[in-house]
Amino acid sequence: MKIDLLQMVESGGCSAKISPKQLEEILKYLPLPVDPNILVDIDTHDDAGVYRVNDDLALVLTTDFFPPVCSDPYEFGQIAASNSISDVYAMGGDPVLALNIMMFPASKLPMEAYAEILKGGFDKATEAGVRIIGGHTIDDYPPKYGLAVVGYIHPDKIITNAGSRPSDSLILTKPIGTAVILAGHRLGMVSENDLDEAKSMMKLLNKTGADVMKKHKIKGATDITGFGLAGHCLKMAKASKVSFTINMKEVPLIGNSYRLIDEGCIPGASFRNLEYAEKEIEFATDLDYNLKMLAFDAQTSGGLLFSAPSKKVNIILEDLFAAGLFNSKVIGLVTEPKEKFIYLVN
Amino acid sequence: MRTIDTKGQLCPAPLIAAKKALKETVAGETFIVITDNKTSFDNLCRFLKDNKADIKSSESGGVWTLTVTKSVNDLVQTNVEEYCDPSISHFQKGNFIVVVSSDKMGEGDDELGHLLMINFIKALKDLDKLPRKIVFYNNGVKLVTKSSPAIEHLRDLEKMGVELMLCATCVNFYCLDTVIGAGIVSNMFSIVDAMASSDKVLRP
Repeated sequence: MKIDLLQMVESGGCSAKISPKQLEEILKYLPLPVDPNILVDIDTHDDAGVYRVNDDLALVLTTDFFPPVCSDPYEFGQIAASNSISDVYAMGGDPVLALNIMMFPASKLPMEAYAEILKGGFDKATEAGVRIIGGHTIDDYPPKYGLAVVGYIHPDKIITNAGSRPSDSLILTKPIGTAVILAGHRLGMVSENDLDEAKSMMKLLNKTGADVMKKHKIKGATDITGFGLAGHCLKMAKASKVSFTINMKEVPLIGNSYRLIDEGCIPGASFRNLEYAEKEIEFATDLDYNLKMLAFDAQTSGGLLFSAPSKKVNIILEDLFAAGLFNSKVIGLVTEPKEKFIYLVN
Repeated sequence: MRTIDTKGQLCPAPLIAAKKALKETVAGETFIVITDNKTSFDNLCRFLKDNKADIKSSESGGVWTLTVTKSVNDLVQTNVEEYCDPSISHFQKGNFIVVVSSDKMGEGDDELGHLLMINFIKALKDLDKLPRKIVFYNNGVKLVTKSSPAIEHLRDLEKMGVELMLCATCVNFYCLDTVIGAGIVSNMFSIVDAMASSDKVLRP
């Protein structure tokens, strides 16, 4: 029997995230633990938490899991693992250990699919140098998978959302459009080439990009996932108390995602992301509507977005290309705080 | 009146149907979209408003009916071709690179060879899938000087997102560093790496 995980879900990957608006409402009522060893928590909307063990070592902790983004269980495992580990890379850490988190409908899917998902996750984790040392599964429909990851980091070398400075340039390391491509794929509107491109981008570890960030002592970064490019830019600009101008024409796109949006193929999550962020964003009056909606496209295992001193941009880009990240691009500039946090132009 | 029934469909299918109808409708004309999903309804409202259509809506028993009138101005953007202006960088790329080692193409008369090379570079712009990079070395770097007849085409390609990599040793050897008009000067490792990591290397 050919297993098709996509038959089981309405929205997969990071599109399945709860609305950022709802999440913010709820988190308001949860007190943040106070401890001098907590170096990074959700206060700055960062990708992972960081806890100091001693002066030379801190732990980066993060977790992420979601429903299938593709038909093949092995590929789904690879993508989910790559996405889970990404938060550690975005903080400048080295991922070390992980636990599997799995929800699997044992009565609806052959156990072979379960094994394949775990195998995909294991192989991707191994590629990242991460040891999976346990996990937990419950019987649930539809399937969901991800990792809880622990990484090492030096307490003085943490890269956060709050590290972006005026006059920096913003570099993005992967093209965007995974949610449009996946939604279009379900409706038979996407070529095999475009689907393959989206899948290979989602499987690609952010390790190489993170190595370049560390080499150049980058201070501010995030990875682009469920809240979309604009949503994650907003979190970063807010935490850094600066404004970002993003030139949407410079943003690399996966395959024909522009054309898909133009045909109305806009996933529901894009509207959720738009609604959450739009009050704090100024849209240029001539901003192309399709590019605007792409800015809110929920990314699964998206690239790194980091803030780099503008005079170092060429050498950093050369390093990113040399690392195989051929889509890396300067997509915007950081300015002193202005009336809005984000300016989307084209 | 034209009615688009999207009951049972989830986003983005209703949006795709609505956008298609909007494209096929003339200004002032009205059509109806029906949905039984609240999220789809909200998204349709937002999407149609953003696309400058006038909408009226009603709900009964969990089914929403939108009456959509296309306003006088056309869609915010319907024309994909218009978008494909050379100053925009969203062109499809193939996993191949072009290596230019001379300012002439082929063996024979030098003047003809030079002319052919300019035409070759010009023709690259018309490919369905553009190369990811163009690498220039030895005499090839002379094509990327400010006074080169190919420079405008190369700048267009750069705007279309094609990287131009120039061999640093060659630029220095021919003393061209002050007259280079496009591209990024790269070291031999980057050039070898670019050639090694692409599926195909095209040599004019």
